[in-house]
Amino acid sequence: MSVQLAVFLENHPGKLESITKALAEAGVNIRGFSMASEGEYGVLKILADDPEKAYRVLKERHYTLSRRTVEIALIDDRPGGLHELLTTLSSRQINIEDCYGITLEEGCRAAIVLDVERFPEAEAVLRENGVRLLGEGEQL
Amino acid sequence: MYWELSLETMERRELERHQLRLANASLARARRSPHYGQALARLPETGLASLRALEELPFTGKSELRAGFPYGFLAVDPEEVVRLHSSSGTTGNPTVVYHTRGDIADWENLIARCMYSTGVRKKDVFQNMMGYGLFTGGIGFHYGAERLGVMTIPIGPGNSKRQIWFLQHLGTTVIHILPSYALHLAGYFPELGIDPRRDLKLRIAFIGAEPHSEAIRRKIEEIYGLKAYNSYGLSEMCGPGVAFECLLQNGLHLWEDHFYPEIIDPLSGRLLPEGEEGELVLTTLKREAMPLIRYRTGDLTRILPGPCPCGRTHRRIERIKGRSDDMLIINGVNLFPIQIEKTLMAIPAVGRNYLIEVRKVDHMDRLEVKVELNEDVFRGTLAELEKLQARVVAELRAELGVSPVVKLVEPSSLPVSEGKARRVYDLRGGLG
Ligand SMILES: [Zn+2]
Repeated sequence: MSVQLAVFLENHPGKLESITKALAEAGVNIRGFSMASEGEYGVLKILADDPEKAYRVLKERHYTLSRRTVEIALIDDRPGGLHELLTTLSSRQINIEDCYGITLEEGCRAAIVLDVERFPEAEAVLRENGVRLLGEGEQL
Repeated sequence: MYWELSLETMERRELERHQLRLANASLARARRSPHYGQALARLPETGLASLRALEELPFTGKSELRAGFPYGFLAVDPEEVVRLHSSSGTTGNPTVVYHTRGDIADWENLIARCMYSTGVRKKDVFQNMMGYGLFTGGIGFHYGAERLGVMTIPIGPGNSKRQIWFLQHLGTTVIHILPSYALHLAGYFPELGIDPRRDLKLRIAFIGAEPHSEAIRRKIEEIYGLKAYNSYGLSEMCGPGVAFECLLQNGLHLWEDHFYPEIIDPLSGRLLPEGEEGELVLTTLKREAMPLIRYRTGDLTRILPGPCPCGRTHRRIERIKGRSDDMLIINGVNLFPIQIEKTLMAIPAVGRNYLIEVRKVDHMDRLEVKVELNEDVFRGTLAELEKLQARVVAELRAELGVSPVVKLVEPSSLPVSEGKARRVYDLRGGLG
């Protein structure tokens, strides 16, 4: 499992940029992110190479944020890869609250960030089915 | 537990006789001022036969005070005046209030009485975070605390990190602080790695100078691990020290050996039966430089029925609900900002800060409430935010009878104030 930051943001021009700037200045590398928005506000999810530092940097700037535990599954970048992963979870009635994908640089693997309910069980199911999960502190 | 046992616990009938004597002496002094020399010209030399007869006398309002600037209300030789305070006015003449040496001594004594009743003693360390200067909040408590014999740190408001440094390194046990600033200051503890309940020695806070809800008081008590006491005053009477909570935190004892209270209907000016809510009107009983007769405070409250178990016989007023001029009329519905605060603070996912804006949209009043999130509860999903927004709308609608527009905002979108927090912006302009 890995730690993802979720930051509350108002939707105004420049908001996103102020966050990427703060992290860049602190030397934090953003490995992946996704933005869910409702119109007036949204939640920015960030996977950072150093989540604790990223958390501190944003906290000091008085952002409203939380740390959430997510699973990052590494799958082969081929047709059907994602489908198999999702089927594995749905067959056990495990809901996915949020998910997004990142294609890794070499182009032959993809990382899927999964925010799921029933954590320990989800992790066990994925491992049983031979899905490779990123361990704690392990970098993408 | 009493600073002045015989005065604080004086039997009611005796207290009322005492008040009548003081009121007549106060009227006689007041008549030496140009304003009351005219306004009370027809008052018989023998004075009033009963306190109730005060009802026959005209009110004094803020507009008269302004019109009387600078010396229209001065009732002593200017040489006897040792200090001037002024209330925050943004338009027209300021209202100035003069004090003789005797007035200052009485005021100090009242603050000492208030502080003592909540358990402050000589061994305490008092950090006064209220503004000094023309504003009476800081200076009033400063001298009162010294009168009590407490080491007083006259730090004033602002510079939050330094405040916390003093709290920590001087072992401060008592603070005097604006409720909004107490909440703002709390935001600095996480980054400084300080747990106020564990790392500080605070035990008592005096909060006042702006209306606040019971929920805000409880929040302050919880964050700092102390007891917070509500204080009430206004510069026209002296400043803080007019009414004060005792250990029971159930209403504020209004010091009736110094002030005589009445509650009136703010629209008709009619005296209301005891226990009903209306505007507080005060008559000073001991002030020398500038006695005020039936002064309309603009503050809305009621007198609580029955005696207080603490043994003090001076009647209690309820926490100030707002000012008669704070009332917002939204599409014909009357409401007070404090109702909004009370509702917001009861929702755990809502943060400490908020802002109210009223504007005209297509000839209708629109009430907009901006709220920040409580970080401790924020899980990081969009769904919870949508749910929260809907809940805030529903609960405000139930409380106010008006449907508000609720916006979730980042903390940086709300003004941060280290003075009195301004939380209401009426942007309707003119007569709308
Ligand atoms: Zn009491």
